[in-house]
Amino acid sequence: MKFKIALRLAFSAALLGSVPAVQAQSVCLPSPRLLTTMPMGGQVGTTVEITITGEHLEGAEELRFSNPALVAKPKLDDKGAVVPNVYVVTIGADCPLGIHEARLMTRLGLSSSRVFNVGALPETTRDRSNTSLETAYPIALDSVCNAVMTKQGIDYYRFEAEQGQRVVIDCAAMGIESKLKPVLIVADEKGADLQVERRGGAIDFTAPSSGAYVIKVHDLTYNGGPHYFYRLAIRTAEGDALVPPFPAVQTVSSFSWPPPGLAAAAPLSEAEPNNEQAEAQPITLPCDIAGSFFPAADVDVFEFTAKKGEVWWIEVASERLGLATDPAIVVQHVSGSGAEEKLTDVVELSDIPSPVKVSSNGYSYDGPPYNAGSTDILGKLEIQQDGVHRLQIRDLFGGTRKDPRNIYRLVIRKAAPDFAVVGWALHMNLRNGDRNALSKPVALRGGATMALEVVVVRRDGFDGEIELLMENLPAGVTASGLKIPAGASRGIMLVTAAEDAPRGVSNATFLGRATINGETVTRPGRIASMQWPVPNAWSEIPNPRLLIDVPVSVSGTELAPITVEPAEDKLWEVAAGEKLAIPLSLTRRSEFSGANINFKTYGAGFEGAPAFDVPLGAEISIVNLDLAALKTPPGEYVIAFYGSAVTKYKQNPEAEPQDIADIVVSEPITIRVKPAE
Amino acid sequence: MDNAIPAALDSVRPRLLRLRLLWAILSLGIWSGSFAAPALAKEPAAPGGPAEDTVSFVNDVMPWLTKANCNSGGCHAKAGGGQNGFQLSLLGFEPQDDYASIVREARGRRIVRAAPEESLILKKASGGIPHGGGVRLVRGSAGYDTILRWIQQGATDSLPSEPELVSLEVQPNGEVVEMGGERQLTALATYSDGTVRDVTELALYESNQEAMAEVTDDGRVSIQRLPGRVAVMARFQGKVAVFTASVPLGAPVEDLPEPVNFIDEHVFANLRQIGIPPSPVCDDPTFLRRVTIDIAGRLPTAEEAKAFLADTAPDRRDQVIERLLRSPNYADYFANKWTPLLKNRRDDASDITSNFAFHAWLRDSLLANVPYDQLVRELLAATGTVVENPPVAWYKRVKDPKEQLEDITQLFLGVRMQCAQCHHHPFERWSQDDYYSMAAFFSRIGRKPTGVRGEDLIFHDRGPATAVNVKSGEALPPAALGDDVGTITPDEDPRLRLADWMGSPENPYFAKALVNRYWKHFFSRGLIEPEDDIRDTNPPTNPELLAALEAHFIESGFDLKELVRVITRSRTYQLSSIPNEKNWVDRQNYSRFYLRRLQAEVMLDSIDDLTGANTNFANLPAETRAIALPDNSYTKSSPFLQVFGRPEAASVCECERVQSSSLAQSLHLINSADIKNKLATAGGRAAELSAAEMTPEEKIHALYLAAFSRPPLPEELETAVAYLNEPLLDASGKPLAPEAAEKQSFQDLIWALMNTKEFLFNH
Repeated sequence: MKFKIALRLAFSAALLGSVPAVQAQSVCLPSPRLLTTMPMGGQVGTTVEITITGEHLEGAEELRFSNPALVAKPKLDDKGAVVPNVYVVTIGADCPLGIHEARLMTRLGLSSSRVFNVGALPETTRDRSNTSLETAYPIALDSVCNAVMTKQGIDYYRFEAEQGQRVVIDCAAMGIESKLKPVLIVADEKGADLQVERRGGAIDFTAPSSGAYVIKVHDLTYNGGPHYFYRLAIRTAEGDALVPPFPAVQTVSSFSWPPPGLAAAAPLSEAEPNNEQAEAQPITLPCDIAGSFFPAADVDVFEFTAKKGEVWWIEVASERLGLATDPAIVVQHVSGSGAEEKLTDVVELSDIPSPVKVSSNGYSYDGPPYNAGSTDILGKLEIQQDGVHRLQIRDLFGGTRKDPRNIYRLVIRKAAPDFAVVGWALHMNLRNGDRNALSKPVALRGGATMALEVVVVRRDGFDGEIELLMENLPAGVTASGLKIPAGASRGIMLVTAAEDAPRGVSNATFLGRATINGETVTRPGRIASMQWPVPNAWSEIPNPRLLIDVPVSVSGTELAPITVEPAEDKLWEVAAGEKLAIPLSLTRRSEFSGANINFKTYGAGFEGAPAFDVPLGAEISIVNLDLAALKTPPGEYVIAFYGSAVTKYKQNPEAEPQDIADIVVSEPITIRVKPAE
Repeated sequence: MDNAIPAALDSVRPRLLRLRLLWAILSLGIWSGSFAAPALAKEPAAPGGPAEDTVSFVNDVMPWLTKANCNSGGCHAKAGGGQNGFQLSLLGFEPQDDYASIVREARGRRIVRAAPEESLILKKASGGIPHGGGVRLVRGSAGYDTILRWIQQGATDSLPSEPELVSLEVQPNGEVVEMGGERQLTALATYSDGTVRDVTELALYESNQEAMAEVTDDGRVSIQRLPGRVAVMARFQGKVAVFTASVPLGAPVEDLPEPVNFIDEHVFANLRQIGIPPSPVCDDPTFLRRVTIDIAGRLPTAEEAKAFLADTAPDRRDQVIERLLRSPNYADYFANKWTPLLKNRRDDASDITSNFAFHAWLRDSLLANVPYDQLVRELLAATGTVVENPPVAWYKRVKDPKEQLEDITQLFLGVRMQCAQCHHHPFERWSQDDYYSMAAFFSRIGRKPTGVRGEDLIFHDRGPATAVNVKSGEALPPAALGDDVGTITPDEDPRLRLADWMGSPENPYFAKALVNRYWKHFFSRGLIEPEDDIRDTNPPTNPELLAALEAHFIESGFDLKELVRVITRSRTYQLSSIPNEKNWVDRQNYSRFYLRRLQAEVMLDSIDDLTGANTNFANLPAETRAIALPDNSYTKSSPFLQVFGRPEAASVCECERVQSSSLAQSLHLINSADIKNKLATAGGRAAELSAAEMTPEEKIHALYLAAFSRPPLPEELETAVAYLNEPLLDASGKPLAPEAAEKQSFQDLIWALMNTKEFLFNH
């Protein structure tokens, strides 16, 4: 009843467009999450003191990084006592510059990560309010200042420059997981705006006269608070020297780039002018070209000869390089010449569609809130007739934009069948209209099975099945991949911690394996995660990214509210067309609301099985699978059952129980379907 | 000349009577109108007009229906079925449809060939039977008789061989007319067979300024008592012609300021021609206040006023203009002008990001002085997502391609195309083909949903650009207001070609529309009014000046700041607003500066500046000025902005901003809690002045500089000091403590200054 009331309340609140915080807690069991570090990085070869915040970080004992050159120790006060939430980080001189993952090992396991930046410039942390011209904070040239944006405010900084001196002012924010959409303004000493940048780029500023200048930073909609952190850099530059932007996290789409074996740099570059048909740049296939969508409405035309029946694969990367571009290609056959020239379309290519339907922005999820597709290109070119062909490439977003940083890489190759996989923690509706997009670290309670949804982008016609594996797991943790069937796009990776799995953490490896042209090919997969625990995707657009690594951890102190597993640990055998009864064992470690769990089935060959109820009160429940109805052909299968239940969760034995709906996934079940007798 | 048509009709009357009898006999057994047509067509046409003997449906009947207002938008051409099931095309632009409506529909009851006078169309129009529209054609009138004869002749449709109307001319077409003078216009229609017909009686007339000239139904123009230029449009069957009257005041013009640029030359030439002596150039305080309001949307600070008044440099006015053009206030103020016109509207809380981004894009572009053609190109051909490319937000709010073309043409070309969607534009040459050819530019806009509800990303969807004329069913390629823009390949975003066409130096609309809009910003009145209704039939009041401004703007590379510079540097802009004995009647020749109430945002900021108060706006930093507000949501939340007419960003028309005065405005300024709170702001100007270590005279001097950018006049100073020295009593009649009394007195004094016209108006 209590759940029903909460559900009704949640529904009403969703209709009103606001969800009180208390309801945000009613889906998904607590997961440890590191949300902020201050500062967000440091200079290589130095020691930095950082303060962290997050949620469910009780028992935090260790700050870990994805690179061993970063080592953290808790800060101790004068008396040798640990200062809560403060760590001293030593950045080794050999630490690679760029972004690394920082996480906390907590009572519930390893937290979600936050980006930690390692740079070459000296860094400071703003240590006082600077929301007026009078209180402008001094920032030295060639330095980085870490700060948090003030809500409904403008942060002011002051720097000195000589007449004619060129400085590049950059603000890392969205690229380091901040919620800040930064606006950068360079103003004169009196605060009158001179130059503005609002699209996340840098300001390239040449001082018109010697003296003091002001930098203003604010959010596009003047939001602020601890989650709106930023790193402001001011770098001097000589002449036309290129100043690289701050390193940034990768979008989910970029998991499919580059194709295996691609050279770091393209051997060929586009050569302007090549905008017109008459100026087409000659190339020979195969080829690998670097180009740019510059200036506005740029079109690059390439010309090659090919013979009827040839098949080529075209791949373009631009969006997957982190750019807001939408490349499009048209290949045309050319006949005749001069005024008689005739162009016939051969193929038009745009976008790599998401392998599975991505959730729309409607009332509730109708797909995963992760988009593994891209506005880049991956497609087939089949030559219809001998002769000269022209390929035009343009940026469908580039009609009016003039930014030479909008580059692309164009690869035309003979078929090289391959694949790339990416996974993320499973999201599903946990109550009516639920659109939670919480970041979910693979931090396992004992007896829990966590499902990762895995999708594949297939290259150059590869259509075979793909096994999913995870290696280098902590003790007591097993992983079982529900493979991606031939021609399909989705599989499931189940990660299970034994009830008695000890507290532990490891940097796992996530792999896809397939047979391509008779050879076994193994490719490392990537894991994506939400940057923030978004309780309601209606009010905040979820923003996932790729993680650098694949950490898996076990709490060791807290157990899953329920474990669902086959009553016997065995290979289940059944003849095709027959019925299979599997007794499921339910181990409950918590009270629940409701009487049943409604389960559906994951796993190729069995996904069409009708949903069924399992009584929460039963020790053993029989699941009947009708292979005649499923028409599952002979073979070996791994399946699992998934549903949701409302746990009366207690943070600790003394705490008031709290209703929390969460996903329940059974342990994997292996079934051998024998030929019909 | 007035009697030409009745005379001609008289000459054919006996023959018509015979024909009528003959037709009545024939019609007894025949309902088909086509039977008699060939026989009647053999009648020779009278000289001076097509088929004067044979009544032509298109050339004779339709003009009378138009003249009688039958096919106006309020009557039988009303959208959605006309009146009482009788539908005519608007102003007779679709004669084929009208013929079918009159002759074939309603079971043929509208026309009774056997007894023409019993025809419903005549009986209703003449009041023979009740008619909701009243008597439109008096029995026996020329119009009535023409239609009667047409029915008698068989009520035939026009033949393709009939002469077509080619052009319309009005005589005279331009003259100097004294105040109070009159002119009879003659409208002459030329047909494809070379005949010319006097259609004075049939044409419709309309003055573009009723206050300057009135015109009767039969084309008699009466000039009123305002000097300047006025146009009267004559319209006949889709053709228009214009009579322009130049109305002199005739006063001697002797003391003209020395012109500083071409604007002065053209304005002063016009003033000389029509005899209006201008007011002298305004004084420095007035100039500083005026130009600061018009460029930066604020009052000069007391410090600025002090420094400027002490400046003796001969080019000090030019220096002020340069300083203001460099200031962020310029960008804020002009972004505030443009964003409502571009419908930066908050309909949903989630619009905040796109609205802020769009406003900021415009504001930053103005700050960076991005050339106007480039700015429009970025908007028109925007692609991508809102955050990456903010002008995309325009396509979020304006989703219908028809609305896109209508907004773009009205806003950037000054051409109103809305009418042409359904029918030929009544005052212009735009046809439905022109409308849909323009729509074709917007036919390849691809959309994909984003994570934000209602917000699509925009891309060019490859393919041939066409739009279907809903009337003809023809798929039309893009053409820009009738101009051929060449073949657009499926690969090319047609909007870029439209942007090329718009930004071409030869484009007759683009620069004109902008300079006229900006001229109005500085002078209260456009050279063409309304500023976004540029058409042949609505000529400018000073065509030479408009052409020169247009040329200057194009030559400058569409430099908006240069346009503001050249306008504000002119002596014309710097003329005093105080009229002389002669030019007080002038409303359109710029012989003086026309007073203008401060617009809502400027007034709010000015009151804040004067009182030292601060208005807080949701989501924005405390120091945000009202002129920097990104969207209309702040109007909804501010009674002040509402009452002073801040627009809701619902249309592309500047008329949405209400600049008139009202009782509510006066009451708000005089007695609202909002204003009282501002006056009593802790640390505000009243508190600051009362606590300052200055003499009363110095304090009043500082206050006048802040309010009016000038020192007080001796009598003002005397009055103010006397007021400050008056003892103040509290509610119980006891004298207030000196500090409290002085603070209260300054609040009163500020309130009084705030409510003066000198404060509330730009002058």
